Amino acid sequence: MAEVKVKKETNLSEPAEIENRIKELCQQFPQGITDQVIQNDLPHLEPQQRAMALNKLLSLGQLDLLRNSSGLLYRLKDTQSASKMKGSDNQEKLVYQIIEDAGNKGIWSRDIRFKSNLPLTEINKILKNLESKKLIKAVKSVAASKKKVYMLYNLQPDRTVTGGAWYSDQDFESEFVEVLNQQCFKFLQSKAEAARDGKQSPMVQRNSSFATSHEVWKYICELGISKVDLSMDDIETILNTLIYDGKVEMTVIAAKEGTVGSVDGQMKLYRGVNAILQPTGLVKTPCGLCPVFHDCHEGGEISPSSCIYMSEWLDF
Amino acid sequence: MTAQEIRLCGLLLQEHFGEMVEKVGTHLLRSGAQNLRTIVQETNLSVDLVKKCLCVLVQHGACCFTSGRKGPGSPTEYRACCDRILRVLRYPRYIYTAKTLYGDTGELIIEELLQRGHMTMSSTVKTVADRLTQNMEEGHSMDYSEVSSTFSKLVETHFLQRCPPVGGAGTSGSAAPAAAPAASFPECYSVPHLSLIGRGKRQLVPENGEDQRNAKRAKMDTETHGDEGIYWQVNFERFHQHFRDQAIISAVANKLDQTSSEIVRTILRMSEVTTSATAACTKPLSANEIFRSLPASYNIPRHILDQYLTLLVDDPMEFVGKTGESGGGMFVVNLHRALANLARATIESIVQERFGSRSARIFRLLLRKRHLEQKQVEDFAMIPAKEAKDMLYTLLSHNLVQLQEIPKTPDFAPSRTFYLYTVNQLPTARMLLQNCYKTVANLIERRLFETKENKRLLEKSQRIEAILASLQASGAEPEQLSEVEEMISAPEKQQLDVLKLHVNKLDSAENQVDETVFVLESYVSSTSTS
Repeated sequence: MAEVKVKKETNLSEPAEIENRIKELCQQFPQGITDQVIQNDLPHLEPQQRAMALNKLLSLGQLDLLRNSSGLLYRLKDTQSASKMKGSDNQEKLVYQIIEDAGNKGIWSRDIRFKSNLPLTEINKILKNLESKKLIKAVKSVAASKKKVYMLYNLQPDRTVTGGAWYSDQDFESEFVEVLNQQCFKFLQSKAEAARDGKQSPMVQRNSSFATSHEVWKYICELGISKVDLSMDDIETILNTLIYDGKVEMTVIAAKEGTVGSVDGQMKLYRGVNAILQPTGLVKTPCGLCPVFHDCHEGGEISPSSCIYMSEWLDF
Repeated sequence: MTAQEIRLCGLLLQEHFGEMVEKVGTHLLRSGAQNLRTIVQETNLSVDLVKKCLCVLVQHGACCFTSGRKGPGSPTEYRACCDRILRVLRYPRYIYTAKTLYGDTGELIIEELLQRGHMTMSSTVKTVADRLTQNMEEGHSMDYSEVSSTFSKLVETHFLQRCPPVGGAGTSGSAAPAAAPAASFPECYSVPHLSLIGRGKRQLVPENGEDQRNAKRAKMDTETHGDEGIYWQVNFERFHQHFRDQAIISAVANKLDQTSSEIVRTILRMSEVTTSATAACTKPLSANEIFRSLPASYNIPRHILDQYLTLLVDDPMEFVGKTGESGGGMFVVNLHRALANLARATIESIVQERFGSRSARIFRLLLRKRHLEQKQVEDFAMIPAKEAKDMLYTLLSHNLVQLQEIPKTPDFAPSRTFYLYTVNQLPTARMLLQNCYKTVANLIERRLFETKENKRLLEKSQRIEAILASLQASGAEPEQLSEVEEMISAPEKQQLDVLKLHVNKLDSAENQVDETVFVLESYVSSTSTS
């Protein structure tokens, strides 16, 4: 007797069955499924029933609704976060979702109001509620000190909000930057001097006076003057300020992809330089630095004949 | 012809030529081209006086004349050149350069020509020989041929040139002869044959009356030497080229090292007479030629020279460029770019000294990155927001930094417009140039004020010196001399010393500011021709 393969036909008219099937599909595709996928799997399911099942799952908080370039995506929400929201009502869930979407840049309360269309008083109540439940936190933005952005509790705030390595508690650490500035400059200057004293052929001299940004970064890390970990990009911003001070120049060379410190096949080299000009003649006179230069006229109250700056300078 | 330039020209004319010339000169500068009658009317001076003043100005090349605007028959019009008058400020520098290049003889030749404006070669040689003989020991005198040879050398290197031939006023209305550049006529640099043989004459110590008679007699000296009508003048453009080369060489020496600056000096020396004053680059020179022309003390091997040249070409300052591969590589010095870099360094140093190094950082940042928003300036310069804002606004109020508005909406609403900070190098250079002119004028006025304050004291000291000199010449006893010296009391002597110190300081400050003026002026004129 041949074994009759009995295909267990799932009765697809049951809503619970539909939901379970959708959940299984979500588990199969952890990054999310589109409507198209559901339709392919359950071809004789009517759109109405599909929509009902999806809505049920969404309201239960078991599915996440996302949008990507091709359409809507449904993703299974992990059960842990689903349990967090048990005690909250729909509004709170909505607000929570908006804040979650903002990722680690955070979102301002007015923007939450726009996105959720809820009145201000409601929003404030919900935010206070969520904060007490330790689900979200407020972070002060460094750009506008009165503004508070909200983000999920366990997320690290992004660099644009806190300002990165140069800010500590909303204050720009100018002394820290100054110290780093001087240390980098001294390092490059001593390298250039060592190269010059070497008295080798000029090409070798110039090449040995260069330092890659990686070398400078290692030197600064070894010096240990920084409490915070500095990345190579941070060091490059410091070196850029030295360029704007006119003390250092930079070249970019092509480097092999494996070498240490190369980014995208390029390496930045820095080298200390001297100024090409002594301080110019105009600033050696009092007029060059005079704060009332434009008010000075012969015969006026401020004039060359009666200038106190000139008298002091002449008697110097 | 800005107000500051006219003020400075007035002060220079007054100091060097007197009040009348100053009056006529400033009047011409202010009103443009005018004919004689108008000048006489408006300055309220007599016709003779105005004519003499105009003669002085024309002799020095500060004034040129053209036939009138209304056609060939109308009276000639006179126009003053502001640039030429401003050159008077630079006379000490020209004389010093001539001294370093050609010794005392060269210095005196240039000094005589600067004082007289136009002179024939023979009269120059005679005067210079006389002056040199004056300073030599008893029994020695300067030979004319030595002076003539120095003169010829100056002409060969184009430091001196012939004055352009002047067409008579009233000839078919051609363009003003002085408008044509002096180098355009072919015999500019040819030395005439002179029959000048002799030695310098030593001038005896004159009594006051005799002196005047001697001077009058010299003027009616009727010896001819075969160069009548050929007048010489100082070629300022050539001196300016020299100064520009010096500036480039010292910049290279500061940035790189001594050997590189020697190489650049060699290249510039070889292209001295082949490059026109307004060229953007020197003529290309091959590495072989450079190698052969290096000074003998720098015997560096050929491959090292090649390395130095490569380094010079790679340097971000772009002083030297490579234009080809023949002959081991063809190299040029980029003159306009070098001038732009020097001007940029000058402006940056002015900002740094005046406003501090952090403002200088912001200024350099804006020069590099052209247009930046407020927030970006703070981020790039790593300066706290409040301080950066303060500095930017200070620079903005002094017009060193400009604001560019880019609207998002046509109504330029402030909340919907981008405000970008920017620096334009050329207008800033012009503005600082005017500031320099004002500074020099201030320094001159202060110097005149100081001398006027102490006029009485100066006159007294001059009288006493004259008495001392005459007493010494007639062989007086030491007691008489000391008696005369005591007529000046000690505090007065101290005051005189202080005054001398002040005047020297102001003088040297004028020269220093003139260096800044030179760099900025060369930069501005180089951009106008390119």
